[in-house]
Amino acid sequence: MADQGGSNHGIARTSRTRTEEQRQKDLERIKDYRALEDQVRAHAAKSDYSPDVFALTSKLLRLNPEYYTVWNVRRRCLISGLLSKPSPGSSPSKALPTSSPTATTTTSSAVSSSSLSTETPPALESQTTGKSGTTAEEGQQKQQDQQNDQQILQKELHFTIPLLLESPKCYWIWSYRLWILKQVIERLPVPVARKIWEEELGLTSKMLLRDQRNFHAWGYRRHVVEQLESPELEGKSLVESEFEFTTKKIEQNLSNFSAWHSRSKLIPRLLDERNADDEARKAFFEEELGKIGEAINVGPDDQSLWYYHQFLMLNLVNFVGHPTITPAFTQEERVTYLRREIEGIQELLEDYDDAKLIYEALFDYTLYLCQLQERKPNEQEVKDLKGWLGSLKKLDPMRSGRWADLERDLGLRVTMEV
Amino acid sequence: MTQNFTSLPQELQLATSAHVKYIQSLDSRKDEYDYWLTEHLRLNGLYWGLTALHLLGHPEALPRAETIDFVLSCQHENGGFGAAPGHDAHMLSTVSAVQILAMVDAFDDLETRGRGKAQVGKYIASLQNPQTGTFAGDEWGEEDTRFLYGAFNALSLLGLLHLVDVDKAVAHIAACANFDGGYGVSPGAESHSGQIFTCVAALAIAGRKELIDVDRLGRWLSERQIAGGGLNGRPEKKEDVCYSWWVLSSLEMIGKTHWIDKEKLTNFILSSQDTEKGGISDRPGDMVDVWHTCFGIAGLSLLDCPGLEPVDEVYCMPKSTIKRVLGH
Repeated sequence: MADQGGSNHGIARTSRTRTEEQRQKDLERIKDYRALEDQVRAHAAKSDYSPDVFALTSKLLRLNPEYYTVWNVRRRCLISGLLSKPSPGSSPSKALPTSSPTATTTTSSAVSSSSLSTETPPALESQTTGKSGTTAEEGQQKQQDQQNDQQILQKELHFTIPLLLESPKCYWIWSYRLWILKQVIERLPVPVARKIWEEELGLTSKMLLRDQRNFHAWGYRRHVVEQLESPELEGKSLVESEFEFTTKKIEQNLSNFSAWHSRSKLIPRLLDERNADDEARKAFFEEELGKIGEAINVGPDDQSLWYYHQFLMLNLVNFVGHPTITPAFTQEERVTYLRREIEGIQELLEDYDDAKLIYEALFDYTLYLCQLQERKPNEQEVKDLKGWLGSLKKLDPMRSGRWADLERDLGLRVTMEV
Repeated sequence: MTQNFTSLPQELQLATSAHVKYIQSLDSRKDEYDYWLTEHLRLNGLYWGLTALHLLGHPEALPRAETIDFVLSCQHENGGFGAAPGHDAHMLSTVSAVQILAMVDAFDDLETRGRGKAQVGKYIASLQNPQTGTFAGDEWGEEDTRFLYGAFNALSLLGLLHLVDVDKAVAHIAACANFDGGYGVSPGAESHSGQIFTCVAALAIAGRKELIDVDRLGRWLSERQIAGGGLNGRPEKKEDVCYSWWVLSSLEMIGKTHWIDKEKLTNFILSSQDTEKGGISDRPGDMVDVWHTCFGIAGLSLLDCPGLEPVDEVYCMPKSTIKRVLGH
């Protein structure tokens, strides 16, 4: 299975022998850690999720944020006492566990005023009056519950920040944080919830400033944006500002493929929502081509840039069945753009004749052109293709098996009937 | 592979006995703080260690009866397994449990002394999202293509894949595909070698590899090999031994391992060994751990390094186990 933390990355190999003093120190730490762990587990085994246990989980998670079971104990502490009970018929309680020890067994130990009082209104009344017919007393109670919940949930968000900064690739912290944010939606009024979710964008920006490729942070950001756009938070599209964010990230570092990737995903929606007409789409396409062209001029060895360039070229040739930037381009326009790119890339060779990605692009795009025109490569193209393959073999012997396959396929392509 | 392994310098030979001793020592490190900090990975660690031992040809190096007892002691009433006794059930540890029991041929023990295959299958199936087809890691709802693969892996070993909506899960994987041929954690996410393995292997288990854009994916994967011979997980990142598995096994599943330099990769993995004390690290000179030891050895097995049992590229377990359990 994929990495769940606990493996060593980039830590220098040192002598594994410890001095007796180090060993003793380790034993002390183990003793303290295990004592704490035993306490939490003993309470959890009795389904005791009281505030005391909650406090113990804080201590333990600071020592070991990978301890997923303890994050779960913490969740159970929240839903079986610290947070208010969601009123019947309110938000869906999908997030509530189905197979964990049930919260009902814990009311005696986890008494909080809110959990008791929500049980007092007779079920009959809420049935007859319906959801909207709440009494003044109930309204007041609800407000109190919400204030209490808001305070607790915001404290939880604060709690995880130093842990995330220290372990930015720990899956469990990210998923706990999202769970808390789900509680925010289920328990707080929309404007309050929305404000809290909006602040998450700031957190991901901060995390991506520290590590621009952290895929946890990028994934988390996508999720946050999706929620902020959803009806649950009375949202509207954020596609423009997210696109702007990728531009900013790329300007900070052209080699940030995570940002280029994100851009490729946002573009179809961006153009749709702009109601971009054919002219606007064409202008957009040219602007992107210009941007990536400049970048490649500076860094022709950077894979990130070529992948994005390929994405743009695929828009020209692979436009059936999925969203594309320029659906209305004529065949002639497609051919013209492709030819223009091929010529421009050929010029790059004057300055960089040892950049293998240039040869690869020329090879691919020439075949794209043939594909687009539904024809075999002509004599000059065959000569060029063979020459570029020769350079690839020379410059990149590690992938000689791939070049051999391409050569074989090229031979087939030239001889076959179209 | 035409390389003459016996003529290689010592640091480039497989340090079999050191690795066996290293893996055997892992459970005797109770006086080390890290041993306790990593308890949430205990069952996964047992799978990593046991897989490495089986591939090294020393399946007996961990006592079978104790292994089975430990695995069963991690099982919950609902059928799922936690990482260790007292840890909550989770997909990741449940899959490891099933894989371990498959390797030591102990599905019978699961029936007689555990809660039975059917209950395990029920637990895993309960984690499928009926709307999207993907899977959660546990009742708290984190979703990731890792969990989808894990579900397919374990359920197919148990002969219970019919308990889930395979078509819906396959459609979800297709939605995770990117223009570069790769796959991400979820729809919209950047291609990542680890997730590519999970998606491609899940498609392999479902018998739906025709959905893969083989040329584009093969090209992306082959570009993961960088100057030193090691493989990275994404463009413009550092190399790491564990990607010797994620990238190489994916290439194997699409028939393109000849698109990289196997000899250079072999040397990179071998030079990441601690030949004296055993174990393999992420790259030469770093601290070893059982995770990199497992995936380094599994990679070497796919590279036909002498002295290793053949590994199954889909399950990351010995081919002999898969043949015994699945009959092919």
